[in-house]
Amino acid sequence: MDNRQTEFEAMAMPHLDAAYSLARWLSRSPTDAEDIVQEAMLRAFRAFDAVRGETVRPWLMAIVRNCFRDHNAKARRHEPASETVLEHLVFDGPSPEAEALGASERRRLDRMLALLPDDYREVLLLREMEDMSYREISEAIGAPIGTVMSRLARARALLKDKWLAEDAR
Amino acid sequence: MTCAEIERTSAFLDGELDASAGAEAERHIETCKHCQALVAVAGEASEALRGRAARLRAPASLRARIAQNLADEAKVVRLTSLRPVRRQFWLGAASGVGASAIAAALALAVMVLPAAESLTASLVDDHVQALSSGQTIAVVSSNHHTVKPWFAGRAPLSPPVSDFAGEGFALAGGRVDWVAGGKAAVVVYRHGGHEIDLYVWPSQAVAPPRRSERRGYHVVSWRARDLTLAAVSDVQSDELDRFVRLVQTAVE
Repeated sequence: MDNRQTEFEAMAMPHLDAAYSLARWLSRSPTDAEDIVQEAMLRAFRAFDAVRGETVRPWLMAIVRNCFRDHNAKARRHEPASETVLEHLVFDGPSPEAEALGASERRRLDRMLALLPDDYREVLLLREMEDMSYREISEAIGAPIGTVMSRLARARALLKDKWLAEDAR
Repeated sequence: MTCAEIERTSAFLDGELDASAGAEAERHIETCKHCQALVAVAGEASEALRGRAARLRAPASLRARIAQNLADEAKVVRLTSLRPVRRQFWLGAASGVGASAIAAALALAVMVLPAAESLTASLVDDHVQALSSGQTIAVVSSNHHTVKPWFAGRAPLSPPVSDFAGEGFALAGGRVDWVAGGKAAVVVYRHGGHEIDLYVWPSQAVAPPRRSERRGYHVVSWRARDLTLAAVSDVQSDELDRFVRLVQTAVE
């Protein structure tokens, strides 16, 4: 095995589960998530020399996000996405806390998160799952910090509205 | 039903405000029921998502596929330093050392192909990634006196930069990107609604294929002096050829 590969694996592979989780949450599909992560790791490896010395994880997550976007764009071109189909693709991963108290609340939140528009959901996932700063998210999605700030606020406002609307029912 | 201050409230939750703006946000939240609800739901969402980052395990089959991909790719990347091997082969061939020369020739033929394909893949992937992230241009200018100096110190070389607006290919700017593990200067042109990226990097042992296609994007590449150039775009291939001829004329 060559050095570059060994070095890359040592740096990137510890984040594989996180990359896969993010891809699952972004794509809401186990098979898509695998394709996305596979492509992301290859792209990361090709560009690897560029990041030595930088923080690997946010960089890797940005690549996962970009691969998801490309994947999505390709899928849309082939078969126009149907909103009704998307609504059924709610996250269904194994959840160890499923038996714990509040599991139904959590499930409700998962369902709402799954329904957020991609632009909003991705900033919220990068912020909350990856704990990335506005600057890091801005670099990851290639948009100004102001856009990150307003998308996050709108994502939360949408969640709040959905949440309150269900409570009122 | 919302409040004009949600951005500040949300940034406050993320700890992205300075002390004085934070204090203002806090005072506002105390009096605004919309923002109070926002804080409560955002807190739930945060708790639900936090710590889930590595909760799902990547399947073992995925892990194995990635390891295989990396090993294949590593083989290809090693070829960029193929020059000494190639020289040995020519020496061997010239002195009539038959068997090893033939073996080397076979090895070369087998190995150069994926390398060339990988370069096309790398170029197109980079182009598509830049397009989809909206980050195709780091220096925006139609003036080559602005674009060319921008590359100094950023790129490993000074790329040819000209504006062909009169011929329908307007200079739009430039960026620096990584292609197959090396830094390349990318000069960005617009043609109609399309973008053409001209990648320029120092020549390496492995030449990219002169003309290739991937995922609907055309790649035309060539060498000039000690540079390798590759034009990547989704414009029609005859238009891309016209662009390449303009650049070739400008370079020579």
